[in-house]
Amino acid sequence: MSKDVLVVKDLNMHYETLSGDVSAVKNVSFTVKEGESFGLVGESGCGKTSVAMSLLQLQADNAKISSGSIKLDGIEMVGMSESELRKVRWDGISIVFQGAMNAWNPVVKVGEQIREAIREHYPNNTKIQNTEKIESLFKMVGLDSTIMDRFPHELSGGMKQRAVIALALSCDPKVVIADEPTTALDVVIQDQILKEIKKVQELLGLSLIYISHDIAVIAEMTDKMAVMYAGSIVEKGPTSEIFANPQHSYTKSLLASTPSVVGDKVKLNSLEGEPPSLIDQIEGCSFAPRCPNRNTTCHPELDMELVEVGPDHFVDICSASRN
Amino acid sequence: MAEYIIRRTFQMTIVFFLFLVFSYLLFNAIPGNAFSSLLLNPNLPPDAYQRVLEIYGLDKPLLERTQMYIVNFFKGDFGYSYKYFPKTPIELIAERLPRTLMLFSIVNIVAFYTGFFIGKVLAWRRGSKAETWITVTSVFSYTVFYPWFALMMLWVFGYKLGWLPIGKFLYPEKWYDAPFDSDVVFTSMIKFTVVVSLIQFAAYLASRGIESLSLRRNIRFVSLIAIFIGSYFYWNNGEALLQKPYASDIAYHMILPVMVVTVVAFAGTALLTRTTMMEVLKEDYILTARAKGISQKRIRDRHAARTALLPVVTSFIFTIVTIIDGSVLTEQIFSWPGMGQLLLQSVLEEDIPVAMATFSFVGVFALIAHLLADVSYSYLDPRIRIKSQG
Ligand SMILES: Nc1ncnc2c1ncn2[C@@H]1O[C@H](COP(=O)(O)OP(=O)(O)OP(=O)(O)O)[C@@H](O)[C@H]1O
Ligand code: SF4
Ligand SMILES: [Mg+2]
Repeated sequence: MSKDVLVVKDLNMHYETLSGDVSAVKNVSFTVKEGESFGLVGESGCGKTSVAMSLLQLQADNAKISSGSIKLDGIEMVGMSESELRKVRWDGISIVFQGAMNAWNPVVKVGEQIREAIREHYPNNTKIQNTEKIESLFKMVGLDSTIMDRFPHELSGGMKQRAVIALALSCDPKVVIADEPTTALDVVIQDQILKEIKKVQELLGLSLIYISHDIAVIAEMTDKMAVMYAGSIVEKGPTSEIFANPQHSYTKSLLASTPSVVGDKVKLNSLEGEPPSLIDQIEGCSFAPRCPNRNTTCHPELDMELVEVGPDHFVDICSASRN
Repeated sequence: MAEYIIRRTFQMTIVFFLFLVFSYLLFNAIPGNAFSSLLLNPNLPPDAYQRVLEIYGLDKPLLERTQMYIVNFFKGDFGYSYKYFPKTPIELIAERLPRTLMLFSIVNIVAFYTGFFIGKVLAWRRGSKAETWITVTSVFSYTVFYPWFALMMLWVFGYKLGWLPIGKFLYPEKWYDAPFDSDVVFTSMIKFTVVVSLIQFAAYLASRGIESLSLRRNIRFVSLIAIFIGSYFYWNNGEALLQKPYASDIAYHMILPVMVVTVVAFAGTALLTRTTMMEVLKEDYILTARAKGISQKRIRDRHAARTALLPVVTSFIFTIVTIIDGSVLTEQIFSWPGMGQLLLQSVLEEDIPVAMATFSFVGVFALIAHLLADVSYSYLDPRIRIKSQG
């Protein structure tokens, strides 16, 4: 049994805005084990990036973590001072940002930007050690070592993205977050990058948090997954189990709207309507207004709670449906 | 790059040539005899007058005269000052230039560094009370009517408080039995400043390749200490020791003009830095840098400020161009006998050779500064480096 690397418990985070608090992360709990790949899936705006940013505590200035706990290797990160956090960032948790194309400072050489991260966390390394480290990282992600002396604008999108992966791995982090790392790329390159991440993850035995709105990609990339809707996790469990036996209506809708997973070209059952505003307090089931199964089996007005329905498989269901 | 510079130099030569022709024609369009001030000069022997007329064709028709002037100009012969006859414009400029350069290079360096520093701190501390106040102050000094402000400062510090000298660049009585000219002292002050900056720059370059950040910092600190100790020894030995009291007299006279011009000049840089920095801080790579665990100060200086530097440097180099024309006003207010005063006097007294020479000097200076701005911009921004090669 491999140990738990990252344990998130009852995490709540909101953005303070002029029109009220936007609750982007509500009571989110999950665990990532060593060498495990964990997927986070959900529609745009459901709070995936907010979760990722909270893990690194790099949220926007108007964001507040109001409660909850984030433990990395048993060490509590919520409430850490800035200088403690600086040590954990990249060395403990690194991230490939959404839209990572702009992750590079345009006026600094790519190699220097990676070197800077290593220098920060391994201050006693010699120049040669760092160069060798970067060379081996580049080799791993399929880049030529001469890229080190290039400026970001001299690289293609795919090369930049590979270099970003090398950057994320540069300090041998315990957990790597990949937040929709392929959004800005064309389909062929997307596929290559996904394979690259998968390969590296298996090779290094990384704990990976893979974020995507595409449930098909999650199926390909992860061992365990969580489905997010309107700031909350509505279903989580082993990826194969969820695909075989989805319980929450939202998960079912997501799966149904993804033909590649279902196999046969079934009718695309795309979801209608918009997710609820995160400013309003939501009583009961947040998916109710769009739910195709509404009022057939459930009581959406009641309090919802995550309940274990199979081995390690949890679903958000109302108190009346619990047995 | 070399090809680009050559092409630009060629263009600049043509521009300069046109500039020369037009200014000469313009000066000669001033009503009255173009060389009347030469005629009125009591120090001028009559035969010398005749000779000057002949050599420079001053009695010839305007076009012919212009042609002769241009030819002589490119031969390096700028004629004689009408006013200070045996002196050539070059001699006059050589005497005045160090004074202006000294004053304004110090002003510009101080103004640039304070402006850039304040600007980046303002952007970094956005929303704080201090930020609001400093921004308001900067806007004030950016928009204040400069001559009024300069006179106010003169009045306060020179007259009311009596801390600083009013005008002039030295106490004449102190220099009465000085063993050397003020120019000599000026030149060695400039040399000193240049050498110090070069050493500091070299230390910076040399330490750039060092991997350990703390070692890098220590080396830079030690180099700074070494420069201080070195300066101390330099000014307390040999020739420099003799010049020291005079140099400090000049330095004392420089305080007020440097202060006043800096207060007016830093604000532009500060406000521009603040705006560009705030844009840069929104960029994704700033977030990457934070995620990497880089220190706040390093993110501010190495990532945000480094990119924000681009437009700031360009605008700064364009203000350098205005050093000499800007100095007309400043030198008049502070009675600082530099290039600005020379320019003004020579125009007022219709001392055409001197006026032409100083104007050409300003022109060449401006053209070179622009070229420098382009070159340094392409150095600072690798994205442009490629384009300029093509
Ligand atoms: N700085 C902020 N201030 C206020 N609201 C914000 C801020 N950042 C994000 N939000 C809101 O929080 C919610 C969650 O945003 P988040 O970026 O986490 O979603 P996401 O799941 O990553 O979406 P996407 O798939 O589009 O990346 C959204 O409704 C968004 O509008
Ligand atoms: S609780 Fe009811 S309304 Fe809500 S998702 Fe489940 S079935 Fe749909
Ligand atoms: Mg996102």
